[in-house]
Amino acid sequence: MSLAIDQWYTRRQKDSEGDYYRKICLQSPQNNVNSTTQGLYLATPDGKLLGFTNNRSPEWVREMLKKGLAKYEPAEAALLENKNPDPNFNYHLPEGGLILTVTSKVLSGYQAAVNAEVGFFQNSIGRDVLWLRKEEHQALVRGELMESLKRRLAMYNLIDNTRGEPHPWTVEEIKKLDLTLKNGVISGSVHLSNETGSRSYTCELRGTVEVKDGKVTRLDLVAKGPARGASGCTTNSMPKGEFTLAVACRLATGQDEADKVMPQGAKSWFPDYMR
Amino acid sequence: MLALLIAGLLCASPQGLSDADCKKLHDSLKPPAAELWRDIPWKVSLVEAQNLAAKEKKALFIWSMDGNPLGCG
Repeated sequence: MSLAIDQWYTRRQKDSEGDYYRKICLQSPQNNVNSTTQGLYLATPDGKLLGFTNNRSPEWVREMLKKGLAKYEPAEAALLENKNPDPNFNYHLPEGGLILTVTSKVLSGYQAAVNAEVGFFQNSIGRDVLWLRKEEHQALVRGELMESLKRRLAMYNLIDNTRGEPHPWTVEEIKKLDLTLKNGVISGSVHLSNETGSRSYTCELRGTVEVKDGKVTRLDLVAKGPARGASGCTTNSMPKGEFTLAVACRLATGQDEADKVMPQGAKSWFPDYMR
Repeated sequence: MLALLIAGLLCASPQGLSDADCKKLHDSLKPPAAELWRDIPWKVSLVEAQNLAAKEKKALFIWSMDGNPLGCG
């Protein structure tokens, strides 16, 4: 059974899910649960660690799984329950809301990759989701684009997340936010920049919204333009100088497990993200 | 020729992203359909994955990262 989680949430959760995860971590080299516990773990259903590695090379992972599974003896185990999920780390899409899948890619501007790993990041597609409130969904149905939605899109999704987790833009860093929805077409431009201009993104946006029976049935949107700089851990191997960044949004199908992942921007502070 | 030019101008946004540009760009930003790591039936709920592992008496493989591996850069 395979599980993909954001440990930032799980190791902090004050509930039975968090307890279970921390129990596994404490048996591993990542036993300081007050810091990152990222890695690849193999455990029995009752929480006994069978193997661990924080090396993502296929050979290391295969070896860890092979050794861990050799130790595994299938047995009865109680089903984990989480009757009181920690509300500080369990967020839910508001009723009547919408989920958009958001992807990003650096189209040009990289220098030659110094090794295969850097090359991998240079070609990677960033992934995230954008959550819409019911009022924002209803506004789209009426042919309107709410300011709150424009702001959330700009702050949390018009970013280069192809190499990890960048910082979202702040409200002050939104220098221009000119987006309109007219006759089912979204168009406009956005300019985002930090104080010094060392990190910026200036893009044009264009998209299509289709509505049927009071619901948005299609929302395709793209943004493209020149960008500079990076933030947080994504400065590693970032393009030097100007690069072209593109971002695309589409309605989540609900068929993909990834559609259940909480928005990256919610990490800042969920009520602030959704406002 | 004039009709084509007019049609092109009408399809383009004031800033220059045409419908054709948008579709091409939108398609190019779809994650590849065939990615080996996506063939694995990942769960994102720990409770759900643990319950399935317990019922099927299988070990639990946890990919734990800063940012969810299925929904982060």
